[in-house]
Amino acid sequence: MSLEKQDDFDHRTWLKRKDLTPIETVFLTALIYIDKRLRIVDYLELLEDAYYKVNLQMPKSHTEQYDLDNKFWYWYPLYSLGFFSVLAYIVAAVSGALLGFYYSPSAAGDPTVAYQSVKMIMQDVQFGYALRSIHRWAAQIMMAAVFLHMLRVYFTGSYKEPRELNWLLGIILISLSMVFGYTGYLLPWNQLAFWAGQIGVEMALATPIVGEWGAQLLFGGFTLGQATLVRMYILHVFILPFVVTALIALHVGIVWVQGIAEPH
Amino acid sequence: MSDTDDTNETRTDGGEPATDGGETGIVAPDDETPTWQERKTRKSGLSQLTYEYFERARREDQELREESDYVERDVLGFPTWPHEIIRNGAISLFFVGMILLISAALPPSLELPANPSSTPSIILPDWYLYWSFGLLKLNPLNPGLAVLDGSKLISDQLYGVLANVVVVGAVAFLPFLNKGSARRPVEQPFWAAIGAGGAFFAITIAAIAVQNLIPLPLALQLNIAFIGPVVLGVMTYALLKTLREGYMYGLNRRYYMLRPPK
Repeated sequence: MSLEKQDDFDHRTWLKRKDLTPIETVFLTALIYIDKRLRIVDYLELLEDAYYKVNLQMPKSHTEQYDLDNKFWYWYPLYSLGFFSVLAYIVAAVSGALLGFYYSPSAAGDPTVAYQSVKMIMQDVQFGYALRSIHRWAAQIMMAAVFLHMLRVYFTGSYKEPRELNWLLGIILISLSMVFGYTGYLLPWNQLAFWAGQIGVEMALATPIVGEWGAQLLFGGFTLGQATLVRMYILHVFILPFVVTALIALHVGIVWVQGIAEPH
Repeated sequence: MSDTDDTNETRTDGGEPATDGGETGIVAPDDETPTWQERKTRKSGLSQLTYEYFERARREDQELREESDYVERDVLGFPTWPHEIIRNGAISLFFVGMILLISAALPPSLELPANPSSTPSIILPDWYLYWSFGLLKLNPLNPGLAVLDGSKLISDQLYGVLANVVVVGAVAFLPFLNKGSARRPVEQPFWAAIGAGGAFFAITIAAIAVQNLIPLPLALQLNIAFIGPVVLGVMTYALLKTLREGYMYGLNRRYYMLRPPK
């Protein structure tokens, strides 16, 4: 009987007893090192569980069930519109992050620093005009794809129960996307941006009870200025990206869970 | 309180040892995940109800699965790699390439800098907000009340905002109005007509947003904006009603070939 503590949890001795290749030794040593500190074995179990759940055998698809294999399913291309809008969203996110290196949201000076920075992007920055063009077109195309996606969902009856919640989530997402576009439209602080902002403030002020509060919150006051620009900027680059990305993930996740509603 | 090992303490409750941690905050080490049944018996109140419901839902799922005549197979459709990945990758590259091509061909312009002292003759948001902007310009339809000497009950701006709220609210309410398993437009001509009319209305109301660019009197423009979608809806309804019989015949024929009536 040695003084060394020996129990079932002495992994080092267990490792020595086994005849392992170097690769196996390195792998197991690393695994034990991490597991002693983080107890990842629990999470591995979860992962394994998820693995088998994902590979569950699926029921027959609609096409198989109704023996439609030999028919051209003419709705099919329209089922890629949701994916297309996510793709355009990603392109807009990447180009937007790059634009953020050069843009500065300041209404100081005449013309304003914001306007001059956009002008600088368009004229001086290498491929800057291309970057802005990609960002703008990706946003336009995303909105177009989202509208068409909504029409597809309507005309294939995919919004019906049990998918009402995802339809509502879609309404929220399309509204937030339009707010996304609106806040981005205001950032260059050109004539159209300023007057579109003016209409926004008027809309907010026309709303009873919450109108003035809303105008203060979103536009930083009742007249447009530095506060408006910064609020639009923070909405566009900080708040909306997180909210919209999370909601898109939820939207897609619900589709994953519920399955795609194929037309009968 | 009560321990699982032998002690001389007398048990006052005389019941099972509390292993759920509900009272002592200590969870007994246990290799097995408790079933909903077990969790249910350990809990009380709302949490017990929750577990009771979970149990019922599981049983319901199980029964549905047993009743189902779906055939389970080893392979469903194409394998993810390489078929699906290559197809999706090709579609993605095509879409992104299209965005880049359009961006290269049509770079955006930069308008004049903001000038609060000069209002431009045309103020427009991006095209996807035209419908909303058109709804904001519905002030000619804001009724004046005779009892108020022709003055308006709500301001023109609020009227426009309310029009937006009504439209978005109606669209959001849709799945609670139209239920059932019908999926194709031919199966529900009425709802297809509503959809076609609604989509067309989004375009005609957008024209109201640019009313000062259209060389027609405003009254006529408003008539077109509201009657046009109705006309299109009626046409859609008539067309689908005509097609319906043939479509349903084919659909039923395939269905009964698969499952002949007993």
